Amino acid sequence: MLQVADLTKRYGHLTALSEVAFSIRPGEVLGLIGPNGSGKTTLFEWLGGVLPADHGIVRAGDRILTARQRSAKVFYLPDGIAPWPTQTVRWALNFIVGFFGGAEGPPKGGFSRTLATIDDVVRQLDLTSLLDSRIGTLSKGQRKRALLAVGLLTPQPVLLSDEPFDGLDLRQSRDVGRTLRQHAAAGRTLLLSIHQITDAARVCDRFVLLSGGRVRGEGTLEELSALAASRGAPSSDLEEVFLALT
Amino acid sequence: MIRRWLWLVDKECRELISSRAWWVMLLAMGPLVGVSFISAVRTYAEASGLNGTAIGVGEAFSPLIGVWAPTFSACELAAAFLLPFVAIRLVGGDRQSGALKIELQSQMSAFARIAAKAVVLLGGWIVVSAAPILAIVLWKSYGGSVYPPELATVAGGHVLNAGLTIALAAATASVTEHPSTAAILTLSVTVGTWIVNFIAAVHGGLWERAAGYTPTAMVAEFQHGLVRMDVVLIALTLIVAGLGLAAIWMRLGVAVRRRASESMALGALTAAAVFLGAFVTPSWDLSENRGNSFPKADEAALAQIRSPLRIEVHLAPEDPRRVDLNQRALSKLRRVIPKVQIDYVSATSIGLFEQTSPHYGEIWYEVAGRRAVSRSTTAEAVLESIYSVTGVSPRGETEDEIFRGHPLAVPPKNAAMVFYGIWPALVSGAFFLAGLPRRSSFATHASEGGRQG
Repeated sequence: MLQVADLTKRYGHLTALSEVAFSIRPGEVLGLIGPNGSGKTTLFEWLGGVLPADHGIVRAGDRILTARQRSAKVFYLPDGIAPWPTQTVRWALNFIVGFFGGAEGPPKGGFSRTLATIDDVVRQLDLTSLLDSRIGTLSKGQRKRALLAVGLLTPQPVLLSDEPFDGLDLRQSRDVGRTLRQHAAAGRTLLLSIHQITDAARVCDRFVLLSGGRVRGEGTLEELSALAASRGAPSSDLEEVFLALT
Repeated sequence: MIRRWLWLVDKECRELISSRAWWVMLLAMGPLVGVSFISAVRTYAEASGLNGTAIGVGEAFSPLIGVWAPTFSACELAAAFLLPFVAIRLVGGDRQSGALKIELQSQMSAFARIAAKAVVLLGGWIVVSAAPILAIVLWKSYGGSVYPPELATVAGGHVLNAGLTIALAAATASVTEHPSTAAILTLSVTVGTWIVNFIAAVHGGLWERAAGYTPTAMVAEFQHGLVRMDVVLIALTLIVAGLGLAAIWMRLGVAVRRRASESMALGALTAAAVFLGAFVTPSWDLSENRGNSFPKADEAALAQIRSPLRIEVHLAPEDPRRVDLNQRALSKLRRVIPKVQIDYVSATSIGLFEQTSPHYGEIWYEVAGRRAVSRSTTAEAVLESIYSVTGVSPRGETEDEIFRGHPLAVPPKNAAMVFYGIWPALVSGAFFLAGLPRRSSFATHASEGGRQG
């Protein structure tokens, strides 16, 4: 179990995140839900170690993780990037496995899980026909799937994916959701930043509702429904619950 | 970890090969070297008697000064104006594409990451250096003389200069958000070193000392076949510092304040290392004509002087006689007697208005209370004055020690075809072939298959 606590990030006078705290359980699919500008990407970037924060810690049990220890446990897949644009998808997948040491197995102390193979991921995300395409030439949806494959091949036990369904059509979106569930079943912990609540409801086990840089609720749909009901807005629909709590 | 680093090197190689900036540099290098080489060989040939010109100075001819210094100067030009863009593209490209955010999440240190880029960039530079190597092959085919130690010194100086450029460009690309800002900053530093050289020429003193370590001055010494340990140490220190700065600022997840204080600490350490490095005195004259040294007989005589030698020069920094004195005599003297004390006395920077002063132009030599004065700035006159105050006398120079030179009255045959025709054609062909998709050279995870869980 990882616990994020006391996370605050300011950009000058603007507070992007304020005393954010929540937990990540092994093998779950946790949805980070919030409107645009709610601080989802900032939170992910800090967890992934690519953005400093004013305050904030991550605990694994009783131990506070250093930045290096955190990067051994968490991999962050950003949205809207086009890394290695002149290289092929095949090369990128091989590179990730080679560079991150995936072939050497998961880092010590990580959650136990079965590492994905390139074959599996290529098949699950329907990338076979794209393997020899350059990343820079892919469409938005194709690139999203290729990058998701990159994320799924990393050895860190927790994968943070920023907007994994963005740019995908309905069929691809369902296939990707199914793939993510398969990886969670194999022991990978997933934290997905999603602004489409229907996608989140379909894939996630639990939710963290983020709005205005603050956590407005955390739990399963039932737990959040109960929380919304306690505030006078009873509903079993995630959209209604989200609107009631944020 | 080594294997992961090699994956990174493989990635950087691919990025370099897919970088048009590198191909442009490679393409431009042929004609750049060609212009310099053809012009140098033609001048060398004419001075050696080609087309009926007089051979009056042939015995002093050294390919180092006559051919290699101008030919390799194309490398200096490319290092100042082309290489920075290639380096910035390789370092800044990761940030622009988002690859940096992915790669930063490995357990590899930022310095190892930047070192991979530097190694690949240096490799790319060595490939580019194939153009001057072609010039050497052509020169040999003309029957020209090649003295490997001096040639290696020139080439080594340019590699070191390229290393400085790479480190500087890596640092600016890492510190700034955008490649264009990095390019402006890099060129500003380059222009800044030229300004230091200019100020040194006007004011002398500490400026002159600092100007001795600018890339231009460093390359000039290597081009004369001189290897100075202090210059090498300081250049290496600056390269490591530049790469260190790049590594510090590459860590996007570290607070800016901490990165700034680490940069200041690195700056202080570098300044201390450079200061200490400036006191290192060993140097080696690897030129065939020993152009940076007095004759061996004189060096042996000077080595016998045990008392402190003081020289007082009444010449302004910009006076051509002072430049002559430094180049022809004092720089050579410092190599034999590192602790010689040289004091410059002048009221102005150009000396034009001091000419009427009775002592202006005098050079005083003092050893153990004995003094001598001279106005000549030639090496022979300086040595004569020193011998007169020390009482030391050198043995005569033997016939073997006199450099006779290697005149060569041959026009630059085929050079234009090689550098203006074959080189661009080869580079264009290679560019086309490199554009075809390649498989992973480290495809241990089965490019058609996958890794096992």
